[in-house]
Amino acid sequence: MGALDGRNIVVTGSGRGIGAEVAKFVAKHGANVVVNDPGVNVDGSGNDAGPADEVVKEITAAGGTAVANYDSVATVEGGENMIKQAVDAWGRVDAVIHVAGILRDRMVFNMTEEEWNAVIGVHLDGYFNVAKPASILMRQQRFGRIIGFSSGSGLNGNAGQANYGAAKAGIAGMTRCLARDLGRYGVTANSISPGANTRMTQSVPEAATALRQRAGIAVQARRAGDDLRGPELVAPMVGYLCTDQAWNINGKVFYVNSGNVALAHEETPYRSIQTHEMWDLELLEQRVPTLMAGLANPAPPAPDLDIPGRGVLTPRPS
Amino acid sequence: MGALDGKIAVITGSGRGIGQAVAMYFAQQGAKVVVNDPGVNVDGTGHDAGPADQTVDQIKAAGGEAVANYDTVSSPEGGENMIKQAVDTWGRIDVLCNVAGILRDRMIFNMPAEEWRDVIDVHLTGQFHTTKPAAVLMRQQRYGRILNWSSTSGLIGNTGQANYGAAKAGVAGFTRVLAKDLGRYGITANVIAPGAATRMTQSVPDSARELRSRAGISGAASQGAQPPESRYKRGAMGPEYVAPMCAYLASDNAWNINGYIFNVSGGTVSVANHPVAMRTVFNNGVWTLPELDDAVQNVLMQGIDNPAPPRDDVEVPGRDLAAKSLS
Repeated sequence: MGALDGRNIVVTGSGRGIGAEVAKFVAKHGANVVVNDPGVNVDGSGNDAGPADEVVKEITAAGGTAVANYDSVATVEGGENMIKQAVDAWGRVDAVIHVAGILRDRMVFNMTEEEWNAVIGVHLDGYFNVAKPASILMRQQRFGRIIGFSSGSGLNGNAGQANYGAAKAGIAGMTRCLARDLGRYGVTANSISPGANTRMTQSVPEAATALRQRAGIAVQARRAGDDLRGPELVAPMVGYLCTDQAWNINGKVFYVNSGNVALAHEETPYRSIQTHEMWDLELLEQRVPTLMAGLANPAPPAPDLDIPGRGVLTPRPS
Repeated sequence: MGALDGKIAVITGSGRGIGQAVAMYFAQQGAKVVVNDPGVNVDGTGHDAGPADQTVDQIKAAGGEAVANYDTVSSPEGGENMIKQAVDTWGRIDVLCNVAGILRDRMIFNMPAEEWRDVIDVHLTGQFHTTKPAAVLMRQQRYGRILNWSSTSGLIGNTGQANYGAAKAGVAGFTRVLAKDLGRYGITANVIAPGAATRMTQSVPDSARELRSRAGISGAASQGAQPPESRYKRGAMGPEYVAPMCAYLASDNAWNINGYIFNVSGGTVSVANHPVAMRTVFNNGVWTLPELDDAVQNVLMQGIDNPAPPRDDVEVPGRDLAAKSLS
């Protein structure tokens, strides 16, 4: 008896990395899995049936049930196909987990239209392309789980990833809307912001990390458990959200890495200033220092720059 | 003497609503403004030079300087054109406000790909189309201000707006990266999540709000967008209330405010939480499902609501199970 017995689950990008671990985990707990992966390179180029086939073979060898799908989530048809494949194979779809993603890192002032579109296309449009057809069926059957993969890169910001950060924060926002569109029909939608060492993180050169540190641009601090970095550590929480027990967990973002599972703050107001009338600039100059007290600039201007306003003393918070 | 004397600003979607209020306030503070607006309907259809021209006329009548631009931000050429127009007219670009937006509200299960695409193109990709060419110049001149419009629809969530919510939350993520890409060059990038009564909010029917509240679905407006029990002006205030904070962030005094989200509505300005970890459970190794069930139900999710719980008449597997029943 597994906690996911008889559930039919589509996992995009599950030929490698975190996706593969999620597919294997849910299969181990009884789910039938559509292993989607077009087998592209980290930048989205190329095409290879190997990764999806390999994961299907592993699942089948361990006594599980899985079929391979090689479509791209970046097209409307691709998204529909993989949902349809679950329905054709097993009669319904209970969960869709959108892990597929590519990277085209570049500082924004050098980023091309094509690099922007390719990343938005796979991550964010891809989420719509699977969530839309799945939501129709899930609403009809009054059951479903939708899980999007977000990232600290969008939630907290990371240099050189304007496209990826926009897409990943967008996934969290879309998930919050899906949760509200579908919750009443017995469907939940949540986001995972994972941390793990995979092919994708290897593509960030050590030099980039060192450069950011030298430039005083905030990088994520090391935390307890950071030596536990395998993608298999991410899978259980994703699987848990698909179980019946998680029926009332909806619209949230979870950071999952290294044995940590954290619930993220919603982007609600943290601190406020108010006035009875319309603000004017003089009043804002007085009050904003109170609003922003202790909140740092994540990438302050280089010390050798002539910055208008830097020499001006801000008024003491009143 | 205005706080924005001599600054050159491009403000997208400034023919009407909040964009217009920001353009007029900036001009009043001494900025020279490219008033961009293709004059579309709320759903993005149509085309009309009137709104941009009207804002320019009003600015000029008040003694300010402005030029009109009718391009759409949804094409890379459109974005480049309006930045180029600022440079051609006045020699540089100091401030970029990405206000332009459209709505195509629909529940996710009914939303055509076209409605998804149009909204993502204007709100999210549109902000990239103007920001990219502006960032090239701002980096060279070692000065710049970027203000990107987001919404609680994405930051908190709202029914019927999967496209808009995705785009608007994406804007917050985009801006946090901009802050880190550009901060060291003397540039700041921040987010405005406004609340104001405009043509756009009028398109949300009252019946939709009533439906949501009857169904127990929390909408953005009812949750966290403003501090509760406020005795200050808020909510459906005019768009002119949003403008001063935008001008402040564009002024020299705000040189070190970078990468933040500001909720601005009526007389209230709030800085938003970053979506950092609020509460954490830890296991020294790979979790099992029963371990997770215990930690998630009893610790991680204690007191955390489902924003849209299943209707009472829906048979929900697990609803009757006590926690810890996972084998």
